[in-house]
Formats: sequence, C-alpha cells, structure tokens
Amino acid sequence: MRGSLHGLRVLDLTGEPGFLTGMLLGEMGADVVKVEPPAGDPARHRGPYWGEVADVERSLVWLAMNGSKRGLTLDLDAAAGGDLFLRLAERADVVLETEAPGRLAARGLGWDVLHARNPRLVLASLTPWGQTGPYAGWRGSDLTVIAMSGNLHCTGDPDRAPLRCSLPVSHFHGSIEAAVGVAFALLARERTGEGQHVDVAMQEAMVMPNMATASMSMMTGNRGARAGAFFRQTKSVQREIWPCADGYVSFALRGGPARVPGLVAMTKYMSEHGMASEKLRATDWKAYNHNLLSQDEVDALSAEFGAFFRTKTMTELFQAACERNLMLAPANTSREIVASEQLAARRFFVDLEHPGRGVLRLPGAFAQITSDDADATTVAVRGPAPRLGEHTAAVLGEIGVDAAVLARLRAEGVL
Amino acid sequence: MTTTPHGGLLDGFTILEFGGGAAGPVATRYFADHGATVIRVESRQRPDFLRILKLTPDTKGGLDGGEHFAVLNANKRSVALNLGKPEAVAIARRLALVVDAIAENFAPGAMAKWGLDYASLVRERSDLVMISTCLNGQTGPQRFYPGFGGQGSALSGFNHLTGWPDREPLGPYGTITDSLSPRFAALLLAGALLHRGRTGRGQHIDLSQVEGGITCLSEAIATFTANGEVLGRMGNRSRHAAPHGVFRCADEDGRERWIAIAVHDDLAWARLVDALGSPGWATPPELATAAGRLAAVDGLEAALAEWTRPQAARPLAERLQAAGVDAAPVLDLRDVHDDPQIAHRGHFGTVRHPVLGDHPAETHAIRFSAMAPALRTPAPRLGEHTDAVLRDLLGLPDHEITSLREAGVLE
Repeated sequence: MRGSLHGLRVLDLTGEPGFLTGMLLGEMGADVVKVEPPAGDPARHRGPYWGEVADVERSLVWLAMNGSKRGLTLDLDAAAGGDLFLRLAERADVVLETEAPGRLAARGLGWDVLHARNPRLVLASLTPWGQTGPYAGWRGSDLTVIAMSGNLHCTGDPDRAPLRCSLPVSHFHGSIEAAVGVAFALLARERTGEGQHVDVAMQEAMVMPNMATASMSMMTGNRGARAGAFFRQTKSVQREIWPCADGYVSFALRGGPARVPGLVAMTKYMSEHGMASEKLRATDWKAYNHNLLSQDEVDALSAEFGAFFRTKTMTELFQAACERNLMLAPANTSREIVASEQLAARRFFVDLEHPGRGVLRLPGAFAQITSDDADATTVAVRGPAPRLGEHTAAVLGEIGVDAAVLARLRAEGVL
Repeated sequence: MTTTPHGGLLDGFTILEFGGGAAGPVATRYFADHGATVIRVESRQRPDFLRILKLTPDTKGGLDGGEHFAVLNANKRSVALNLGKPEAVAIARRLALVVDAIAENFAPGAMAKWGLDYASLVRERSDLVMISTCLNGQTGPQRFYPGFGGQGSALSGFNHLTGWPDREPLGPYGTITDSLSPRFAALLLAGALLHRGRTGRGQHIDLSQVEGGITCLSEAIATFTANGEVLGRMGNRSRHAAPHGVFRCADEDGRERWIAIAVHDDLAWARLVDALGSPGWATPPELATAAGRLAAVDGLEAALAEWTRPQAARPLAERLQAAGVDAAPVLDLRDVHDDPQIAHRGHFGTVRHPVLGDHPAETHAIRFSAMAPALRTPAPRLGEHTDAVLRDLLGLPDHEITSLREAGVLE
C-alpha cells in the first residue's frame, strides 16, 4: 500500500490552518513528519478533548487533522534546532508552513536559505493574506479572511450580521490549495530539477467558493446579499433549507432541465400522501421558470412543500429521495453522517487505535482508487496522529543523530 | 495575474474533460491556467447548464453568452461531439487514448454507456489517468443519488454547522462542496501524473464530493465519535476566542457596513482594550483571560458593537490592525475587486470574450516563485476548437472533418 506520493519526504511545520495539507499528502503516500515545538502544537492545548480530559494527547482537532503523519519535536528558535531542521530539509522534498511572512527568514530558515541548501526543495507557505502586498503584515484568521473574500457578506440572515461556518472553512480551502500547489511544483520539478516557493493566501482561496459571482459582479452589478436559508432569484427569494419533522432538509424549487425529473417525482410523492393540490399536480415543470415567479406565487408554492416536509423526518425524506431521485438532502449532523449506509458501503470511516486512549472512529481516505494498480496508488489513512515527539528519535536517527546527542538535545530543551 | 503568453508550469500536458457545472471544470482550470491544454468535450444536444443559465434579464443568451460558464472556463478549448452518434463516440475514444488524463463529473455509469469508462479504456492504454467525481462516489447504494452542491453541503454537514444557534441552518454561500472538490480533484490528478511520470502506470480516481467535505469536517466527526457531542451552529462565536464576531459600522453609500474582529489571545485583548481607549466595560480583571471573556461574551460583544457602530469599517480595521488586532472590513462581491491585497496578488484578470466583451475572470490562490499563471484565452465557444483538435491531436484530414460535420457528428 504505497500511494502516488510514495517516497516523498515532507516536513510539516504548520499550525491549525495548514493541518489538512500534510494530512492529504500523507494519505497519498508521502512520508509526512509533523514538526512541533517541544511544548507541542498550540492545537494540542485546546479542547474539546477526548473523554473531556485536558491532555496534549487528547485534543480532538489535533487527532482529527494530523493522521497519516509522524511526529517530531524541535525548537526552531534554538540554534541547534534550526541546524537540525536544515539538515532534515536537505533531504526533504517539501516543507509546509503557516507562519507570518518573514518569521522563518528571521530564524535563518527562509526560502533563500532552504533553496540554497536544497535546490530541489518545495516550500509551501499558507498565510491569511500571502507573502507580499499591502496587507501581508496584517493579522488574519478564519473570520477575518472570509470577511475580506466576499463570502462572509453573502452568508447569514438578512437581519443579522454576516456569518461564518462554525468550523474554519478558510483553513480547509487554503490547505487543499496549498497541497495543489505542492503537487504542481513537484510536477514542474520533474522537468526543471528545481523546487519553488509556493505562496498561498487564504483570503484569495476564499474568493472561489463564491462560485464566480465575484467575477460576475463586474458584469451583473450584483454585490451579493444575505438570504439566510433562502436563495435569491430574479424576482423573489425561495426557500432552500426547509424544516422537517425532526430537522432540516435542503431542497430547491428551482427549474432547469436537470431539475425537472426531481420536481415531477416530488409532486408525485406528495400526491401519494394526499398533500399535493390540484394546482400543483397540474404544474408543467418543463415550462417552470423560477425566475419569472413573483414573491406571492413563490410563497404559495412553498407553503405546500413546506407543509409536506413538516410531516416527514430527515431519514424518511432522504430515503424517498434516494428511491425516487428527488433532489433533496438532509442537513446532516455528525450523528447522521456516521450512521450513513452509503459511507458504510464505501468503508469510508476508519477505526484508529490511539495507544493508551482507545479506538477513535474518523473519516478515512479522502478519495478511492479503483484501478488495478490500486496498491501502488491507493489513498489511505496511514496511521493515527502522532503523540508528542513520538518519532523524534526515529526521524533524527535517519540523519545520523545518535542516542548520546539525542539525550543532550533533550536535556537542552531543543527536543 | 499576468496576461502575457509564456511558458507555463504544466506546458505539454493535455487533459480531456467531460461533464459540466463547477465541480469538474474548476478542477481542470488549475491545469489550464498553468499551461496545460484542457479540451472540453461538449455537445449542442446537451450543453453544460452553465452555458444556458441566464443571470439577468438582459443576458445576451445563446450557448456562448453565459457569464458563469465564461468565468469558470477561461483558458480551455472546446470540441463539439454529438455523443448520440457512434462516429462521435469513436472520436472521443481516440482522444481519450492520446491525452495525459481524463476528468469527468457525470453521474456514475454515464461514461460506460459510451465505452469511455476507465475499465474500457485501460485495456488499450495502461498508463491512463482518469478522475471521476460525483456527489456520492462511484460505488455504494446511493451512488446514483442526484444532487448539486446544495445537496453536497447538506449531506456533508456544512449546513448544520452554519447559522445562528437559535435559528435554522443555512449556507455557507456558494455550495461549498462544489468549491472544495475541484481542489481535491486537482491535487489527486497532479499526484497521479507524478506517479505516472515515475512508474509509467495510470490510475482511476473516484472522488466523492460528500466524502471530501466530511474529511474537512473531521473535527466535528471526532467530537461526536469520541464524546458523543454533536457540534452545532455558533453564529460567529468561537469556543476558544472572545470577542469573535462581526459588528455593524457606519453605512456607506446607503449600504450596510460591518467589521470582523477576532481576539485569539490575552495579548490581543490587551491591544484591543488600548485601541478602545480603555473604557470601564473592557477593563475588569476577569476579562484579561480567555475564560473570563468567554463567560462574559454577550456583554462584551454588545459593548463592542456599540463602539464600532458609528465608525467607518475600513479605516477602523486599518487602525485596529496597526494596533496589532486581527480585524477586517466585510467586503461585498464588488469590493473584493478593489481590495488592495487582492489587486496586489493579481487575483482577477481580464479576458476578451467574443460575445461578452472584456470581462474579469479569476484564478486561484497559489503563486509559484518561478512561474505565474496566465489568463490567455476566453472561455471557448461551443465547438470552437473542434477542427484544430481533430487535426492536431488525431491527424484527421480536412475533408474527413468536413464530412463528419455534414453528418452531424461535430455538433
């Protein structure tokens, strides 16, 4: 079980915004070594904790986002730590980092130094605003970079403040973008022999989730607005997320060729339960254009669908959706996701043994390889998130640091 | 972003693309922007719905006038093939056998109907790289379940986690799995091309958009499987930081303005208190710690909101940043174009489109030290490159192309 990136060595210095980058590269087969300060990554010191025991080995965000990596502690602010890091970098393919621009260079570990020591090395830097530019020195975090992307402005209820997702979406977008940058730089290296500095800005990474509406605003004049659980049409707003008997479902009363069969099937489903009016049953969905309806017409139509959904549970509606090809989906919580029969059939979740703590069920491979060559290309979780310093001796052993030196470095607090 | 033609990172790679919408086409844009040749196989019989989506009543219309399609598909080429005809399928098959990779985002099974699925093609081409992406993946009882990004957001858990604790779920704006999955796909495709370069072996990648979304939300899954706790909607609040919110500022040009302020540690709080002028409500000693601020967050954020209300958002954010506080004005979709940092990064470029005229098109968030991405060409008109591709890639003579066109194969 090797993976497409088998044989590539990655040093992962990232904090929380970049955890996912190394995890994805690790699932694709790279040897990813997480480099933490001796006290552990700050995310280890933050709940929620497994079993609600505050412990550096039980932080759930740490455990969830650092699988498929090995773990090394190293004080990069100590001269001996920086020197060890450079020795590791000399034989690495990739370094990942999320520090403020200039911070690595201030320690003598910047791009110029790394490139000089190892011209084949790829350095990927993920930061809120990028390495250069008028705001490169600004502080930034999930909330503020999304604020500057247009996405926050358009998310939320119209009568309240613009809104973010309760987990940091910009970290996810930025992390995957950084992984793309790494893979592209490695592809280019195959031809040129040279590594590159890959500079990824989370603010920019959050423009694309607007699905081209930022670009189109120059053509359409649409600046975007919050519509809550609704979707803004030309002449109306239409409900997109609907309350049902025990939760919420996503369903769009929008037209267009791809949606016609679903609307026809939904009307039939409602009819079978005696909950479709004569007018609804007579609707010609092929000719239906949601953009031409007035708000009153939309509201009348929505009232029928809304009343029907309230009589059904999320599970009932989703089962019907799967059987009848309705374009409707439950707004799942983790509980429904973990219980999904689709995900079970694809063996998506993995149960990982975390020594001393037990077995934790987590999302597994982020993609599946179905070809004959799957053993050499497979995407898979390679192991649980490392314990603090778990692989320090093994990783440093690979560059010839022996037990005596290891003991001295530990005593000096470098490891 | 530069618009001058130059050597690209991925010059020489060719990707054949089937499907439409956003989830597939955004993934291949990464390759197109860096010099790869990306060829869309399209058909007049069943055009990409983004080609016919009309955004405003005065949209010029026609299959080549869709703004949404244009923005997402710059730098690509288009071959029109009526896959209802066996000759068209044969051409698609020949193309599939000469390109470096295939990306498709049809429903599972659609490619197999034409004999263009991986299992059929790999018999003739052992180093074929192909990615198939759809909502639920190529296997499993719900593989045929139909859905767009709205369903992806709901199934993977993003809707449940977005909104106010006292209200219904919503967004995030822009159908999030539609924008996450192209990034996953680009990564996987690039990884497969690296592997092929080293080993000469291909692979077939099955990317479920829902599974990609859940991977991102691993923290919520772990919190449930470890502790039985279902994470929910927190508005703009954070479990670790306070204040952490979005606050109303003075209106500008008749529009609401807001500022986002996030205080992640005690030092940042001290800086904010300083910037506030140390008012009485901000100086009680219990607010000096995160635990104290989280306990008092309602009052804290109400007082902060009162302070921001009369001020202009951008100057206030600039002032807070100068004081070392993480703050940013909330930009609308138009403001993003004028943002100095976005402009510095060259995020938006301009292309000249034959129907739409000059229009902005965006690129991604990656800058490489040795090469810049380039917007070279506008999104293709449907079938614009049919002749060139058939001639250059397959070596078809002009008279053959003409007779195929007369037979309705190339439309």
